[in-house]
Amino acid sequence: MDAAQAIRELMELSSQIDVAVVLGEDGSVVASSSEDEAASGALASTAVELVGAASDLGAEPDVSRVEIELEEGALFVVREGGATVAARTGPEPTSGLVIYDLRTCLRSIDEAPKKKRASRANSAPKKEKEKGKEGDA
Amino acid sequence: MRRLIRLAILLGLVAWVWRRIAGPSGPPERAGVSYADGSSVVLEPGSPGFERLAAIARPALRQ
Repeated sequence: MDAAQAIRELMELSSQIDVAVVLGEDGSVVASSSEDEAASGALASTAVELVGAASDLGAEPDVSRVEIELEEGALFVVREGGATVAARTGPEPTSGLVIYDLRTCLRSIDEAPKKKRASRANSAPKKEKEKGKEGDA
Repeated sequence: MRRLIRLAILLGLVAWVWRRIAGPSGPPERAGVSYADGSSVVLEPGSPGFERLAAIARPALRQ
């Protein structure tokens, strides 16, 4: 599934999320639930900054999740396998549920390339066999 | 005995009213960070880590 489709499904799934963006490894916006590019860019840069600040807080530099709940609302950043998804919600969200939905979104993006790789790996020996057969003929 | 029960009820009511008036208003604020090695940190309001993350997050939440 591509990132845009995953974001659409995330927004259908979660009523608590106001805006969500998928970021690439370089921090650029890959897909967003908002048509407002400035808002998407602001959320993406905030997510990158949060991850940077969070990596300074602990001994381990590789941050997998950041969540911050304030009176105004909450921000969630989930990272997995180089991809990042960030979301903004209203005040007092059910954080466990939001995190679960964000992880599901990231994993649905990851699944597509893995399946392609697996199908390529399965088809490669067949081609060699076919070539072998052609050579025999 | 009756006086004692009345006193206990009265004290309970006073404590409840006091907590309603002087208790924290608005939703609780908190922050949490998890790392790839499985460790995690919960940051309470007032801690330097929380204030740093809150300063980054606030402008995005006010949009």
